[in-house]
Amino acid sequence: MNADTATMSDTAVPPGKTGTWWFLASEIPVFGGLIASYIVVRLGSAGWGEASGHLNFSLALINTFLLLTSSMTVVMAHAAAQENDFRRVANFLGLTVLLGLGFLGVKAVEYTTEITHGFTPAAGIFWSFYYGMTGLHALHVLAGVIANTVLWIGALRGTLARHGHRVELAGLYWHLVDIIWIFIFPLLYLA
Amino acid sequence: MSNAHSRHYLMIWIWLLALVVLSVAAASILPKTQALVLIFAVAILKALLVARNYMHLKNERAIIYAMVLIPLTFVIILLFALFPDFVYRG
Repeated sequence: MNADTATMSDTAVPPGKTGTWWFLASEIPVFGGLIASYIVVRLGSAGWGEASGHLNFSLALINTFLLLTSSMTVVMAHAAAQENDFRRVANFLGLTVLLGLGFLGVKAVEYTTEITHGFTPAAGIFWSFYYGMTGLHALHVLAGVIANTVLWIGALRGTLARHGHRVELAGLYWHLVDIIWIFIFPLLYLA
Repeated sequence: MSNAHSRHYLMIWIWLLALVVLSVAAASILPKTQALVLIFAVAILKALLVARNYMHLKNERAIIYAMVLIPLTFVIILLFALFPDFVYRG
């Protein structure tokens, strides 16, 4: 490797990270468009406060706690991967997966209660947005849980050590899922 | 794993939880408009805390910022472009 090539590779962003950030950037218009439409339609319509009053605020608060905590555990896994401590990586990834599954479980309880009370996606524009936004977000959580589970199994088997950077990439995606919830939660449950 | 990193990540987590409590308190105590301003300012702050500290954006290069800020700018433009639709409808 000549000196110029060495300098380039030292300063460049690793391809995996660039690809992940490209993907995350592509998610911004997806959720941003949905959130922008929700804000505009909500400001232009009456009666939304009453509809959102039927949501289960306590369950959403529990889910906020679960997701914020999982962001902390996944960044701890990343830090452990940088230290090549893959036993800790496995522990933190396992916790992240459990917290993600907890989030999905709580969301399932919430959906079940709402649907049993007649608040289906067809119950009105608020409910269409509610199921659209939270449903798309839940699918992202599910994808993150699957990715983190694959990495967790790799950490347990000892095969992740060769691909430690993947913990950071999966973590970046997981943090985006957390950030999206940071905006969905006040928009639907607090505003 | 260095203790300094762990402590930093734990502190950010505590801040995030404290900000959730602040949002919930604002929603139940403050008048509607003031509460909304505070709630969304807090949401932006929480997102920045996660992005800068957990996603390590504060140590990233300009190209990564550009990748995030360009689509974000378009979303904000979209939001404001749609505003007249309900403002002029009354």
